[in-house]
Amino acid sequence: MQPIEPTDPRNGDARDRDGTGAGVPVAPHGASGLGTVATAHGCAVAPPVHIPRPDSSWLRVRENLLDRGATVAYATWTEWLPSVLTTPRLRALLGRDWDRYADTQDPVVRCRFAASRLLIKYTAAAALGIDPGDIDIAYRLGGRPYLRGLDQVEVGLTHTGELMAVGISRLGRMGLDAERADRRFDLDLIRNRICTPVEAAELDALPAGQRAACLLRLWTLKEAYTKALGQGMRLPFTEFGFDLGPGGLRTPDGTEALGDEWAFATHLVLGRYLISAACHDAGLDPAGDTSVGTMLDRRLLTAMTSPGQDTGGADI
Amino acid sequence: MHDSLTADTGAPGSPARPAPRHPGRLPADGAARAQYVEDLLGDPLADDNPHGQRALLAADERREAPAATEELLNRYGLAAEFVPRELGGRLDGVEGLAQVLRPVFRRDVALGFGAGMTALFAASVVWSAGDGRQRRDTARRLLGGGRMTILHREFAHANAILRGEYTARPAPGGGYVVDGRKEVVINADRADAFVAYVRTAPGDGPDSHSAFLLETDRLPAHAVHRLPRARTHGMRGAHYAGLDLEQCPVPADALIGELGEGISLSLRTFQVSRSLVSGGALVGGMDSALRYAVRAVSESRRGLVLRGRRGRVLAGVFADLLACDSLAVTGLRLLDLAPEHALVPSAAVKYAVSALLHEDLDDLAAVLGARGYERGPAYGGFQKLVRDLPVAGLGHAGTADTQAVLVPHLRTLAHAAWRGESGHEAPAALFTPGAPSSPLDFRRLAAEPSDPQRGCDGLLAALLGAAARLDGRRSRGPRWAALADLARAFAAEVHSLADRCATLSGRPDAMAPAASYVLVDRYCLLLAAAACLAVCENAGPSAADGALLAEPDWALLALSRFGRRLGLEVPELPDGVALDLAAGLVDRYRRGRSFDLYGMRLA
Repeated sequence: MQPIEPTDPRNGDARDRDGTGAGVPVAPHGASGLGTVATAHGCAVAPPVHIPRPDSSWLRVRENLLDRGATVAYATWTEWLPSVLTTPRLRALLGRDWDRYADTQDPVVRCRFAASRLLIKYTAAAALGIDPGDIDIAYRLGGRPYLRGLDQVEVGLTHTGELMAVGISRLGRMGLDAERADRRFDLDLIRNRICTPVEAAELDALPAGQRAACLLRLWTLKEAYTKALGQGMRLPFTEFGFDLGPGGLRTPDGTEALGDEWAFATHLVLGRYLISAACHDAGLDPAGDTSVGTMLDRRLLTAMTSPGQDTGGADI
Repeated sequence: MHDSLTADTGAPGSPARPAPRHPGRLPADGAARAQYVEDLLGDPLADDNPHGQRALLAADERREAPAATEELLNRYGLAAEFVPRELGGRLDGVEGLAQVLRPVFRRDVALGFGAGMTALFAASVVWSAGDGRQRRDTARRLLGGGRMTILHREFAHANAILRGEYTARPAPGGGYVVDGRKEVVINADRADAFVAYVRTAPGDGPDSHSAFLLETDRLPAHAVHRLPRARTHGMRGAHYAGLDLEQCPVPADALIGELGEGISLSLRTFQVSRSLVSGGALVGGMDSALRYAVRAVSESRRGLVLRGRRGRVLAGVFADLLACDSLAVTGLRLLDLAPEHALVPSAAVKYAVSALLHEDLDDLAAVLGARGYERGPAYGGFQKLVRDLPVAGLGHAGTADTQAVLVPHLRTLAHAAWRGESGHEAPAALFTPGAPSSPLDFRRLAAEPSDPQRGCDGLLAALLGAAARLDGRRSRGPRWAALADLARAFAAEVHSLADRCATLSGRPDAMAPAASYVLVDRYCLLLAAAACLAVCENAGPSAADGALLAEPDWALLALSRFGRRLGLEVPELPDGVALDLAAGLVDRYRRGRSFDLYGMRLA
C-alpha cells in the first residue's frame, strides 16, 4: 500500500469503532425484516467499514475478508477528493479508466468517477496485498466489474449521492446497492414492477408506517442481488422475491428459491444511507489467504524452470 | 459407511462391483460411442426414463449418487474408456473420450466426475509413469468394475478439495510409512485404489513429492480410515469424503515412477485433466444450461421470438459456447497429436473456458427468470448446474494452478519474434474436430514448455495467419469483412501483448507482480480467439453442421464479445448477425442437436 498523501494522525477508522460512523444493521420490526441474515454456510455480511482516506487503516477490511469471507468499504467521494486532486500518480492509478476521466467535462462527475475508481483499487489492493496501480479493473459484458487475472476475490460497487461503497468477497459473487434512507417510493405506482404477489401482500399487511422503509430495503436487496449476477435490471424484479420475515430468496409464489449459498444484509451508514449487500458462497471453502504474492505454487514454478534457465523466469 | 478400506475390496480381479457386462460390439470411433451412450441414457425429459432429469435431480436432492444410472454406465463399461487400447480398454484419444463423456456431463456434472472421469485423473499417472505391473493391475481393476480416485497434494491457495496432504518416510524393512489426512476427496469412501501425491522430502523444491499407487487390498485395514461424507454445496450427489492414513505401511513397488517425480507427474497429467474438465464437464454442462434457456423462451408467452434482448443473449452464449468448444477441442486434439506441446495450451484452455462459461451462466439466469429457480425436472437442472459447475472448475484454486503454468510463458511471449512472419503456425489438423487423430501417448507429456527459447507459440501464430488470410475473403460480403477487421484488431493485440510482456520482463520486481496475471488473462482470451478463427477457417461444408461453422456469424459474434472483454473498441456488428445465429441455435434445438461443435443427435 502506498499512501498517496501525508498521513493524518486523526485516523478515521477510530470513529467507526465507537459505532458512530459504522454501518448499523437495519431491522426495524423485531429481529426480522431483511436485516443482517446470517446463514449456516453463507457469510454473515459484516457492517461496512468507513475508509475516509486512502491512508486510513484497512485492518478491519482485511479482518472481515478473512473472518467473514466478504467486506464492504465506504466513503463519500468528497472525502477522497483531496487524494484525487493531489496525487501525482493519478494517471497510473486510473490506468485504462484515464481516458474516460479525461474526456468527462463536468468536474464534479469527473472527480466522483476518479474517487470511486481509487476506492475500488485501494480496497482491492488492501485485500490482495499489492500496489493499487497494478490492478486492472475490467468489466463483464453485462457491466459487472472484476479484477482481471485475480479471481480470488469478486468485487461489487455502488454509489448514490455523495456515498460510494466497494464490496470484496473471496467466497463468490457480490452485489451492492445504496440508496438514501429517506428515499420514498409510491408503492401503488411501482408495486407491479418490483414486487412479487407474495411480497405485495406481505407489504400490505405491515403497519402503514413501516411499509415505505421496508419497500426501500426490498428494492436495494433486489438491486444488490441482480448486480451480483451481473444483470442489473435485465433480470426483472418480479421474477424472484425475498421473504420479508427471515429473509432469503423466494420464487414469485413465495417458496424458498435456493439453498443457503446466498447471504443478504442491509446496513445504515453515515446516518442517512442504506447499503444492501448480496453475497454468494460458491461453497468451495476457499483459502483465507487472498494475497497475490502467494498464489503461484512454488513447486510448480521451480519444476518448470529448466536448470539452465534463470529462476527469475518464473517471476516475469 | 465403512471404517476400513479393506472392508469390501478384493484383489484386482475380484472387484467390489459386478464386472461390466460388455454390450455387444461397440463402435471403435469415439463419436459413434458418444451416440451410443446418449441413446443409452435416453430422453432427459421423459418422465418414465430412470436416467432422466426427474431421477437425477431426486438423487441430487437426497445427496446420493444416482444408483441406477451409475449401474447403467458400469454395465456399459464406462471405465474401459479410461484404459488404453493396448491394455484392453477403449481409450484411443482424449478428443473421442470427451465426446463419450459429454452425454453424461450434459445430464449430471457430478455423475460425470463421480462415475467416470475421476478414475482417469488417477489412472493417467499410472499410464504416464507406471511400471508393467502397475499398468496391468490398474487396467484390470478398472475393466473389472473397480473404482479409483486421486489424492492431490496441497496447493497454494488451496480450497477444501485441495487442502491437506500425506507424508511418507522410508520404512526400516523397505517400503514406506505414510501418514496424513484429507477431508474432501471424491469417492474416498468407496474407491479401492488411490493414486496419491505424497510428500517425500521437505521444502518447496520440485522434487518434494512422489506419486504412489495405493491399492487397498495391499494395505493393512487398521492403518486406513475412511472419514464421513463431506457436505458440499455443489455436486451434492458426488461422494466427497475424507481419508485418514495412520502409520500406513506401503510397499516399495507402490511408488509410481521415480522418487521425487510427483510434481513433474502432476504437471504432465493435469494437462489431460484440465482439457477433459473443459472439453467434457464445462462444455457439456453449458450445452444443457443453454438448452434450459432456449426452452424457457420457447415456453414463454411470446414464444421463440428472437428479436430483442433474449435473442441477443442466447446468440451470444451460443457463440461463446462454440468458441469455448473450439478452444477445448483444439486442446484435446493437441494432446492426441502432439502431447509434448500441450502444457501451456491446456492451462489456457481451462482458464479461458471456465471464466467465459461462468459469466454466461448468469446471463442465462436472467433469460430463465423465475424458471431458473424451479426444482422440477423441466428446469431444476439449471440450478443444479449453477451449483455444480463452480465445483467442476475448482474456483480460484483451479485458476491459480493454471496461472502457475501460464505466468512463466509470458517470458516466452516477450521474446517472440512475431513481426513480419507467421511462421510456426499450428497445423490445421488441430482445428478440425473429429478428423483422424492418433491415440494420446501419456509418456510423451512434458512437464516443461517444449521450446521456450525459440519464442514459438503456434496457436497465437495461427491467429496471425488466419487474420492475414481473412483479408482475402472481404469480397464475400459485409460479415466476412467485419470478421477480417476484428481479426486484424486481435492480431494487433497479439503484438501489443508481446510488447507488454517484454516491458514486464524488464521490471525489477522479484515477486510475480499482479500485472503478469493481467497479461495471462489477455493471452488466454487471444488463444480462444485464435481457436475460434482457425476452426471457422478449417470447417468444410461436409463437417458436422459445417454450414454453420464455415460461415462467419458465430466467429464474428464470439470475437466481438472477446474484444469487449479485452476492452478493445469493437464496432457494431452488421445487421442480423445475432438474429441469424439465434435462428441457427433454435434450428439445432428443434432438430434435437447438441449446441457444441459436433451438433450430435440428442436422445
